Amino acid sequence: MTHTPRRGIRTALSATAAAALVLAGATACGNSDDGLDADGNIVLTVQVFGGAGFGYDELVKQYEKDNPGIKVDYQVVTPDYDNEYRPNLIQQLDAGSGAGDIVAVEEQGVGQMMAMSDYWVDLAEYGLDARESDYTAWKWEQGHTLDGKLAGLGTDVGGMAMCYRTDLFEQAGLPTDRDEVGALWADWDGFTELGEQFAASDVDASFVDSPSQLYNTRMIQEAGNADGISYFDRQNDYVLGESAAVRTAFDYVAELSEKDLVGNFRSWTDEWIQATQAGGFATMACPAWMLGVIIDHAGEENAGNWDVAAIPGGSGNWGGSWLSVPTQSPHPAEAAALVDYLSSPDSQIAAFEAVSNFPSAPAAQADPVVADMTNEYFNDAPSGQIFADSVADYRPVFFGEMHSAVRGAVEDVLFQLVGGTDDPDAVWTAFVAAGQEVVDTGV
Amino acid sequence: MSTRRGSGVRLWDATPLTRITLVFALLLSVWPLYWMVVIASRSVSDATAMPPPLLPGGNLGDNISRALTDDSANLMTGLLNSFIVAGTVTVSVVVISTMAGFAFAKLRFRGRQVLLVSVLLTMMVPLQHVGVVPLYIMMIELNWTNTMQAVILPFLVNGFGIFLMRQYTMQAVPDELIEAARMDGAATWKIYLRVVLPAVRPGMAVLALLTFMQNWNEFLWPLMILRPDNPTVQVAIRGLSNTNYGTDYSMIFTGTLLSIVPLVIIFIAFGRQIVGGLMEGAVKS
Amino acid sequence: MSEVAERGPGRLRRLVDRFDLRAMPYVLVSPYFLLFTVFGLFPLGFTLWVSMHKWRLAGEKEFVGLDNYGFLLTNGNFWNATYNTIGMFVMATLPQLALALLLANALNKRMRGRLLLRMGILLPMVTSVVAVAIVFSQLFSYRYGMINWGLESLGFDRIDWQADRLPSWLAISTMVDWRWTGYNAIIFLAAMQTIPRDLYEAAAIDGASPRRQFWQITIPQLRPVIIFVVFISTMGGLMLFAEPMMFGSGRYDGGAAGNFQTIGLYIVQAFRERNNYGLAAAAAWLLFMLILIIALINYLFTNRIRGNK
Repeated sequence: MTHTPRRGIRTALSATAAAALVLAGATACGNSDDGLDADGNIVLTVQVFGGAGFGYDELVKQYEKDNPGIKVDYQVVTPDYDNEYRPNLIQQLDAGSGAGDIVAVEEQGVGQMMAMSDYWVDLAEYGLDARESDYTAWKWEQGHTLDGKLAGLGTDVGGMAMCYRTDLFEQAGLPTDRDEVGALWADWDGFTELGEQFAASDVDASFVDSPSQLYNTRMIQEAGNADGISYFDRQNDYVLGESAAVRTAFDYVAELSEKDLVGNFRSWTDEWIQATQAGGFATMACPAWMLGVIIDHAGEENAGNWDVAAIPGGSGNWGGSWLSVPTQSPHPAEAAALVDYLSSPDSQIAAFEAVSNFPSAPAAQADPVVADMTNEYFNDAPSGQIFADSVADYRPVFFGEMHSAVRGAVEDVLFQLVGGTDDPDAVWTAFVAAGQEVVDTGV
Repeated sequence: MSTRRGSGVRLWDATPLTRITLVFALLLSVWPLYWMVVIASRSVSDATAMPPPLLPGGNLGDNISRALTDDSANLMTGLLNSFIVAGTVTVSVVVISTMAGFAFAKLRFRGRQVLLVSVLLTMMVPLQHVGVVPLYIMMIELNWTNTMQAVILPFLVNGFGIFLMRQYTMQAVPDELIEAARMDGAATWKIYLRVVLPAVRPGMAVLALLTFMQNWNEFLWPLMILRPDNPTVQVAIRGLSNTNYGTDYSMIFTGTLLSIVPLVIIFIAFGRQIVGGLMEGAVKS
Repeated sequence: MSEVAERGPGRLRRLVDRFDLRAMPYVLVSPYFLLFTVFGLFPLGFTLWVSMHKWRLAGEKEFVGLDNYGFLLTNGNFWNATYNTIGMFVMATLPQLALALLLANALNKRMRGRLLLRMGILLPMVTSVVAVAIVFSQLFSYRYGMINWGLESLGFDRIDWQADRLPSWLAISTMVDWRWTGYNAIIFLAAMQTIPRDLYEAAAIDGASPRRQFWQITIPQLRPVIIFVVFISTMGGLMLFAEPMMFGSGRYDGGAAGNFQTIGLYIVQAFRERNNYGLAAAAAWLLFMLILIIALINYLFTNRIRGNK
């Protein structure tokens, strides 16, 4: 039995609320829905997230200059993608209003967004399918809805490297040179060995910051090397419990935890931020954008204490975004044109120069501005090269609609492994169940 | 001690133990606030320094201007919005409560008891929690997300205010005064304006202060319905500590400090009345 | 003046008077009831309606009867949230009331600077809940918090306040108590001051110690106020949201193991993170039921105290 009480409710709501408004003497401000400003210019709202945003300020000015009659309202909505940006975007898409003409979609949410095909303009209708050659196959593919619509054009990628504290490594008697370190942990066994050496010294710090990034990096490598399936298969059935890649990564975390190499510093918590600064842990899997985070968190006094080397296993990705046009936009053609402009390889380079978002287009990665980039804070590490290498071999993983929600829930469970106190098999059962819970409670 | 003082008097003298307890309690009350000032006036790394710094540093001014001008924090917008929200709600609650309080305290009408009990029952409904889902759906249907009316309207309801003003009116306005006004031919609204309102002014002030504080501190509902670019102050300082890309304790604590400054000013200015009003309200309830 | 001319305005006058006497009271109380209907009663009923559907903002709403309630009542996470909510409520409320009584009793003594002390003890109340949560979360930080630093300096081990259930409850209860103990103390103090002093003087002449006087005079006399304070604390305690959320770095999951996820957090998680409005609405109704049940228990319990006296 199904109901569609929407219309009746809306009427009742409007009536009661209008009555309340009169009583309260408040006034509702009228929203104009035509997307024009007072001078009749078309206003395109671009909504992105992140502390520094996407670095579009200059690009937007240029675009307005080149396209008379178009004004761009570039909004960095919030730094918090998971807790604020994504729920708000979904609410706006469901509600049919409030979303920008162009919105940024991040990797963790792309599965969910692309499952909601009706909400997205097919950019191929505006000729953007011609852009395929600018991208790697996986970045291009992930911008498509389940039914094959081109709904998003890639901007940046995260790539993956391993950041480490040279000062702590030195205290522990480990090598500090990034090539040497990178060679020692070319695979995960090497990483374990270095970790054991680190733990054997009496440096008071965890070897890895937390179980979650360690797990994710390993899991995505394993799944990518296999069939690309992790939590959901392509029919969106929950298959986490059967995934060999997941189990391998889980067991690896359990092994390192047993050896007491894994810290309890959950990403984005205050504890983690302070530990980044104070040296609470020695290594952390870090995508390109994380370098900026470390610089912010660790501060000037730690310049040179952090360095960055290749990730064990050689490849990985965390983050990176797409630009999409919701069907609720009154100006889809103009929005699509702006997406084309903002996501072009040249714009990706400009964004990289502005806020260090690492380009997803191989042509942009090869540009000397990106490829030759070194990072002064990280002892002049050739970060451009390191991150380009990590995505060159990257094999993508399928993200189901509820992938990111499941990811959040199962990550929680991993923390029970820290310190090696709990029985890994019991934790594994809880791990599978936590994802199942998300599937059961999702709508 | 003079022997002329009886035992009944000595009973009320504070013992040294009492004094120590109270001073200790005072320290505990003030310490977190002091700590806020210490960190707000220092640099980033001092918040994690061990041993912790005990004295304020010299960066308060810098930190304040940084916090107020930080675009992604929207602290200025938050402060302004909270003034609008808490101010509007306060005016409305005080007006509605004095009117209803007067009616319940001094007027006879059919159904008075039933209505009064139902006001008391409404105090049991934790609206922000039980009503959060439908209110959220309502506001989205009305296209009011991210607007001030969305965070004002649900709080115009406050059974506590009516209760408080009823108690106060019963005490502060003698029946004879109202009878006398009626003899003079004054209509009810005139009695309300000329007799009741002047007499209950102290009660109104306490209700206004409490309502303002409560709404200044409102968190769950604004967090749900406002976007980060148009927050109330609580949502803004929550954002400060949650910026993901660059958290900095000196700035977070500066934000929290700024968020309580208006309340602390009110408290220092009217503290005596608040303490007195709370005490009176409590006794009468 | 003719009689006729007088009758017209006189009748009008009487009509106005009648309206004034009969209808004005309703006019005066109506704004409250109208607003409450729209923003209280209607949401309450609407919650019930939503809770019986599979409901997402967009799309078809499927009527599912009591399925959402059935799901919650057999769901480990919801029971975990219920357990946490009640646990933290008890852990925060009991010491808070005891401390408030103690403080009120102390503040009731004669000493210098009484007003200053009273204001100082009330000061936490004006601190916003988010600010409190931020400051205390920092103080309770595992490695970099002042409290663990203090414990270590005194030779104790550091406590991982987030990782285990009881420590996390303790940390959150501390936030709640810090903010509200002074407020409750002032309310108790007010009530204490209305207790006739000759009661104490008579007891003192009979040789009752101050402790005995406290238990035999003060507490029974404070009974109505205690009921009031317990009621307010129940409402506040069961709706705990901001403190556990901020303590958990702004997430709704109440720590990695859900050790301090309250029902309030559960509700928000259900509809914000999972778009499940029906489930959230059902959880909200269950929370409402819980509040009613605990209020009833409070009432019966405090009535028993009277019965025994």
